[in-house]
Amino acid sequence: MTSDEALMLEFQGGSRAAFEELFARYRKPLYGFFGRRLNNPERAEDLTQETFLAVIRAASRYEPRALVRTYLYGIALKLLAAERRKFLTSSTSRQSAAEPNTVGTPDCVLWVRQAMERLDAPEREILMLREYEQLSYSDIAELLRIPVNTVRSRLFRSRLALKSYLESEARTNPGLRSSAGQPHPGRRGTQ
Amino acid sequence: MSTNRHPIEQEELMAYFDGELPAEQATEALSHLELCSECQTLAADFRGVSQELMAWEVESPEVGISSEINAALGERLQKREAAKVSLPKLKNRVVTNRWVWAGALAIVCVAVGLTLTLTSRNRNADRATGYPSMASIEQYLVPDRNAEIALARSAAPEAISNDAKILVLGWRGYETAIEGKNGFVCMVERSWILPFHSAQFWNPKVRAPLCFNPAAAQSILPLTIKRTEMVLAGLSKAQMIDSIKAGFENKELPVPGPGAMCYMMSRAGYLNDAVGHFVPHLMFYFPLTDKSSWGADLPDSPVTLNPQFRDGPEPITEFVIPVGKWSDGTAAPVM
Repeated sequence: MTSDEALMLEFQGGSRAAFEELFARYRKPLYGFFGRRLNNPERAEDLTQETFLAVIRAASRYEPRALVRTYLYGIALKLLAAERRKFLTSSTSRQSAAEPNTVGTPDCVLWVRQAMERLDAPEREILMLREYEQLSYSDIAELLRIPVNTVRSRLFRSRLALKSYLESEARTNPGLRSSAGQPHPGRRGTQ
Repeated sequence: MSTNRHPIEQEELMAYFDGELPAEQATEALSHLELCSECQTLAADFRGVSQELMAWEVESPEVGISSEINAALGERLQKREAAKVSLPKLKNRVVTNRWVWAGALAIVCVAVGLTLTLTSRNRNADRATGYPSMASIEQYLVPDRNAEIALARSAAPEAISNDAKILVLGWRGYETAIEGKNGFVCMVERSWILPFHSAQFWNPKVRAPLCFNPAAAQSILPLTIKRTEMVLAGLSKAQMIDSIKAGFENKELPVPGPGAMCYMMSRAGYLNDAVGHFVPHLMFYFPLTDKSSWGADLPDSPVTLNPQFRDGPEPITEFVIPVGKWSDGTAAPVM
């Protein structure tokens, strides 16, 4: 299989097929990135498309210094930060985001989301980049511009804190614990 | 958790599960984990948290490339096509340069007898084989990390390599397998460190163990790292050459420091199809230097100018001196 980096260079050299392959590989992961961080599926889709637009516009400046994967999530993080800034200045958005749509969301997912929300924002971001985007410590450090050791220590703290929150939730709702953490085809977040 | 009872910290244990510990520490972590029930519980906790997080899946709608992206894509590709108008000249120049380099190499090979041992039989074998393009990355990797560490160490006598930092090649490039104490760095180079015009530039069989001394670790190792990064990123040879030239111009790549040298005394290496494991030797690096200053290639001189960087983008002169023993102390064949 052609590497992402080779595809990116082929695209830089004018290959539409290379771009389409990158799009196919990363559309869903990027949608998941935005989907978990925003309570708005439409914006998640918009920002996913905007990420690829940014790739096209910056293609001539791309240098293979980092993995394409890291490069894409770097763009996604910037778009997310801009979205959040916009959100903070918009009262209507604030109202709509205050109550995320949870209709149809399985309890075990709500439980995880609530536990995640209790983490400090920087630690939550590191945990999500590691668990969901599967980035290495050094990739996360590069994206967030913090030392690798900081990534490791914050990740450690966030995992311990999350474990504690989840256990406390399990004590409150003992029925949930038995169903969480096991793969199940019906377990889907609706955002 | 006290480190008196646990040789590794909890954070390190977590890093182990994430595949983020260097090999030596990972081995230590694994050994401890097999015996320590407290750490096994912690490990189960980490796994549990990860599994519970996986419950949060995000179902993505099936959406294709938007019209906006299509438009931007079309615009970019059109501009690219327009820019290509001026490319043929450049392309011709690169091709011409390649032929110049290839010709220069041939002349050098004849003039210096190409590093000591090339026989006509070997040259024929070399011509008969071909490695026109990069093989799959797997073919350049050594599946057994410990085997690569041992091969890297075999480049120099144990008194040097036992305390050296060891690098091994992974999917993303060279990574530290073992930290060192003496400033030396041992590794196994791959075929892409050969001259760009070498017929064996993509030979996946090449395994060239060497140990850089501290001066070379500072000034020559970065070149190997850079070439490797570029290869794994899929750059063309022309792009690599340009990037290396730019690297030296903007000082990103250093010129050889005083005393830069390396050991290549492994009997288990494979330098190319022509010479196999070659003979044990030392290599010395300099900024571009006239070979006469070392008496290289003169009759009965043991010093040879290595054509590795000759006519390449690196402003480096490299001399080779064969030695009489392999790194394990056994006698090497007489040249």
